[in-house]
Amino acid sequence: MVVSLISIILLCPLAAFAIFGLLGLANRRFPRQDYLSTIAMLVALVCSFLLLREVVPNPEPHTVNWISLGGVTFSMGFYLDSVTVIMLIVVTLVSSLVHIFSMGYMHGDPRYPRFFAYLSLFSFSMLFLVVSDNLLGIYIGWELVGLCSYLLIGFWFEKDSAANACKKAFLTTRVGDVGMFIGMMMLFTKFDTLSLYGEGGIFAQAAAQLSTADMVWLSIAGVLIFCGAIGKSAQMPLHTWLPDAMEGPTPVSALIHAATMVAAGVYLTARMFPILTETSSLVIAYVGGITALVAATIAIVRFDIKRVLAYSTISQLGYMMLAIGAGSYVAGLFHLTTHAFFKALLFLGSGSVIHAFHAMHHAHDDEHEHAHEHEHGEEHILGSEIPPDQDMRNMGGLRHKMPITFITMLIATLSISGVPFIFSGFWSKDKILAGVLGRAMEWSSVHHYILFIIALSAAGITAFYMFRLIFMTFFGEPRNQEMHDMAHESPKSMTVPLIVLAILSFPVVNTLWFNKDYVKPPPQPHLHAPQHAYLSPDSQTGGQGAALSLFGVSEAFAAEEEGGHGTHADDGHHGHGPAHTIAMVLSIIVAGLGIFFSWLFYHRRTLSAESVATTFRPIYNLFWHKYYFDEFYDGVLVALTVWKSRLFAQFDGSVVDGIVNGVGTVTRDILAAFVGIFDNRVVDGLVNRVAQVTWAVGGRVRRIQTGAIQTYLFVVLAGIVLLILIFRAL
Amino acid sequence: MTLQHYLVISAILFTLGIFAVLTRRNAISILMGIELILNSCNLNFAAFSRFMTPSTDISGQIIAIFGIVLAAAEAAVFLAIILAIYREFGSIRPDEVDTLKG
Repeated sequence: MVVSLISIILLCPLAAFAIFGLLGLANRRFPRQDYLSTIAMLVALVCSFLLLREVVPNPEPHTVNWISLGGVTFSMGFYLDSVTVIMLIVVTLVSSLVHIFSMGYMHGDPRYPRFFAYLSLFSFSMLFLVVSDNLLGIYIGWELVGLCSYLLIGFWFEKDSAANACKKAFLTTRVGDVGMFIGMMMLFTKFDTLSLYGEGGIFAQAAAQLSTADMVWLSIAGVLIFCGAIGKSAQMPLHTWLPDAMEGPTPVSALIHAATMVAAGVYLTARMFPILTETSSLVIAYVGGITALVAATIAIVRFDIKRVLAYSTISQLGYMMLAIGAGSYVAGLFHLTTHAFFKALLFLGSGSVIHAFHAMHHAHDDEHEHAHEHEHGEEHILGSEIPPDQDMRNMGGLRHKMPITFITMLIATLSISGVPFIFSGFWSKDKILAGVLGRAMEWSSVHHYILFIIALSAAGITAFYMFRLIFMTFFGEPRNQEMHDMAHESPKSMTVPLIVLAILSFPVVNTLWFNKDYVKPPPQPHLHAPQHAYLSPDSQTGGQGAALSLFGVSEAFAAEEEGGHGTHADDGHHGHGPAHTIAMVLSIIVAGLGIFFSWLFYHRRTLSAESVATTFRPIYNLFWHKYYFDEFYDGVLVALTVWKSRLFAQFDGSVVDGIVNGVGTVTRDILAAFVGIFDNRVVDGLVNRVAQVTWAVGGRVRRIQTGAIQTYLFVVLAGIVLLILIFRAL
Repeated sequence: MTLQHYLVISAILFTLGIFAVLTRRNAISILMGIELILNSCNLNFAAFSRFMTPSTDISGQIIAIFGIVLAAAEAAVFLAIILAIYREFGSIRPDEVDTLKG
């Protein structure tokens, strides 16, 4: 049942893509590729929900042997636990909604069917990644989603910026993937398998065999695999591709670059949870925490609505990484889910806004395209090249024009900002903060206190820039009257997904995560608390299922934090109860502050953003230039590569070409000359001489042929006489 | 009369015939030379048959008669050819009939 359901889930989108591909070979089209892809996704969605009932506490992977090479057998298989099924639902749900949204958004695009085929391929790859029980399968899915990301970012490849962005995304993630592959190989050499679960799997072997002496290389392997996640989830320092990826169509940004593919890195890290050590956990936590803060600060000063959301995504992914690094497995994955819904909603909402301006954009298309090409060189790096329909400085006052888009986006913003109690984002973010603080208290770890402060400030900044976006886009006076007049509410195919996602931004729908019996963090046998013995998370299970009422929820997750010691926050384990309360209060305060300042700056305008920017010019510049990451990469890595290539080109031009030319010269001028002389003199001479002799002899001999018959007769007689004389002489 | 007499006569005839064939400028004269050669051969056949074999064996004489018949047929064909050559070239001198000369 499990296998067949998963097979259906995988095969539906694959078939939708295959039909496009096979018909494409014959230069034909399925008439309604959009319906085909969407229906395939909806079927997969239904199957994912059916799978909910199939989850068992300690599942065995369903595997088949794939290839045998020299005594090592690689298997392929599915692993279905609660995390898998929740990921399946998230992916299929967001994907279905994005499919529906795209029918409106992409309408009239010349490559409309291809877009849906790519979406199907992406959905297949992502689902394959999620259900795989081994690192090889995950890696295959991992690269396939990378490919789809490349194809979809560069979907409008006529634009130079899109073509560059897709290359950048592909190459940057590849850097991380190399690390991931090395990490996989380290595990493989040690354990002779890439399967994660089951008796011979990596986790079982690692728990049974590894001693403290192995911790160093296990840490290295963990960090290397995390490198893949750094690339894919756009963590520092490989985050630069994600903002540029916004060149792709907006539904793609929502599906791939907000909800699913970039979350694959978090998913992978969560899957690796059982083999994380203190060191690798700390690295992950720091990378995540710093990314969360840095990306949030960059987002403050962006004017491109999609770029703001892109940096916001990076920041939130950093949050999830931080959670997993700090041991808050459930919190990290919980935030992944809630974030998938509200960030997809934000992207689709921004898509709706862009769509509203689109007619306007087309009217001015030629001029803009022209201008862009001129400026492209340096402007692209500085990030100030913003398409006019995405520039928030052209927006304002849209809430009356686009009420549905406004309300749904507002809900998502409230959710991501952490407005308390009724929005899912609050619960998941709070769970992370509480988890980090809880570990800090439990371990008395300075690192985790620092991380907590970083995370808290990132939360405040997030609230600030998200409301900046809302205020600039939907409130105030229209800044560009001409464009404002053209704006209109989007068609139903676009607003319905927005509404559905808005509903999903409330915690009711995410109850699975609150039920601590449903998702349990796996044990981390290689993680040791620095001072006192660390109770492994599975040593205690949570007792009765938590109540799912709104207030029961808060109790439940507080209790479940750090692996569910006991059922209630006040059960005596130090750290948990206070950590939860402190984190919640602080997060509400910083979120409130963020929103308040945003309101002062961008709605009431009591404070001027410009004057603050002038006062803190160096800091503003740092944010505006995105911490000079792109400049650094362009100036150092790209320049170094170009310099190295020039060097090699020169080597090629002088040394290699020199050798080749030298050999050529020797051959032509000496060897060939000698052979040529021989050929001309000896061979030709021989041939010519034979011809000359033949010619000369022929010239003489032909005179015998006089045609006078009596001469012939005379010669014959003379011959006979001669013969007679000869024979007589003998 | 011994065999030698006949052979001498035959050799004289043959030589005269050759001389005529090689020196005459008229095709008819050449034909006449050829007839002389043929007859010298016939004479040899008859003479050798008469003196070298038993008198019952007359195959040499028979061949001589065949040779005469052949010579007649040959003369007829030859004259026909000469007539055709004359019509074509207006002459029966062999040295003027040299169209095939390279």
